[in-house]
Amino acid sequence: MAAYPPSLSTVEPAIASPAPSSSASKSSNVFHRIASWRYSLGLPNPGSVENLQKEVKSTLLTNFFFDGGRADLSKSLSVNPIFQVTHSFALGSQTAAPSYNFGAVFANNSVFLQGSVDHEGNVNGRLNQGWSANNVTKAQCQLSSQVGHSMLQAEHDYQGQDYSVNVKAINPSPVDATGIYMASYMQSFTKNLALGVELLHQRPAPDMTETAASYLAKYTGTDKNWIATAQLQPAGMLQATYWQKLSEKVEVAADLQVIAAPGRRDAIATLGTKYDLRMSTFRAQLDSTGKVSALLEQRFAPSFAFLVSGEIDHFKNAAKVGVGVMIESPSMTPEEMNSMMQMSMPPTPPQ
Amino acid sequence: MPSEETKERIFKAVELGRTVIHYGWIPFIIYIGYSRSNPQPSLIKLISPLA
Repeated sequence: MAAYPPSLSTVEPAIASPAPSSSASKSSNVFHRIASWRYSLGLPNPGSVENLQKEVKSTLLTNFFFDGGRADLSKSLSVNPIFQVTHSFALGSQTAAPSYNFGAVFANNSVFLQGSVDHEGNVNGRLNQGWSANNVTKAQCQLSSQVGHSMLQAEHDYQGQDYSVNVKAINPSPVDATGIYMASYMQSFTKNLALGVELLHQRPAPDMTETAASYLAKYTGTDKNWIATAQLQPAGMLQATYWQKLSEKVEVAADLQVIAAPGRRDAIATLGTKYDLRMSTFRAQLDSTGKVSALLEQRFAPSFAFLVSGEIDHFKNAAKVGVGVMIESPSMTPEEMNSMMQMSMPPTPPQ
Repeated sequence: MPSEETKERIFKAVELGRTVIHYGWIPFIIYIGYSRSNPQPSLIKLISPLA
């Protein structure tokens, strides 16, 4: 308490007294006027570049599909801070070898730690450190005992009032500065429209560099129930997506990828829908390569879910089927869990 | 430009750091989670998938 009034008195004259040079005060005045004008526009934060297609990705089935058998046993050992361990088993897939995976997650309001290790000893790690509500530093690594399969990625995310900035380095070498570096900036121009640019700088060897830019656009509906995005990448790649929330329980998404490079012209369109029902989630998807797929996630009890997935490739005449179970075993009895939940809300870790 | 010797040293330090993270990351999370959890879980529940 004693230190507080003196520090105030040192700050106040600095603001109140006119700055020594008039040009400095003028430029800071202009800066403040621009800042307050920008603030008065009330533009929303456009969201990070990484989350540009978040809604589409969570609606489409592509990221959730699996085949063969799968079992996930997760144990929630603590609610606040979050501490969970997961044992995952996968078997009989046409594309992936049988695997066992152990994962651990720890999170509180400012730190998110995640790690997983598979039966071959490959470790995946993730660390998010939130410095404030809109400043997050993230690190990600993939470590393998095989040479050349390891990856390290460090990034920093800043969410401004009406813009987002992200810088990223993948496998940076302190010796000769080789690696992949990315920087992105996204700015809201109206309440609906946001435009952005992403720069990619590749330096595979000290004397070899390559820089490429991709351009992003995002249009959000006024009541935020539909989003359209477009991403133009170098070498003639265009990805356009559309997402709409039709009702509380139904979302639809469409994705179009076009490659129009000289010598290679290709396009894939995907159409998907997601139903969020009381005890289940159902996703169905159709794409222009002739694949029809569906995934049902049915919860029989709060701690037990059953998954069925299927895909038919009509052009290749092939099919895939998957079944899975997800079991969550709390370390506490339901009564203890309830009282814990009432006592403290689970934290929201930095994402 | 760093000398060959410095380069060698940095390379060795990076390799060492990589090995430490590779073997230490999961135990580190488990230790942090185990020591900060509320209430503290029993060790057998931590490791075994069935308990």
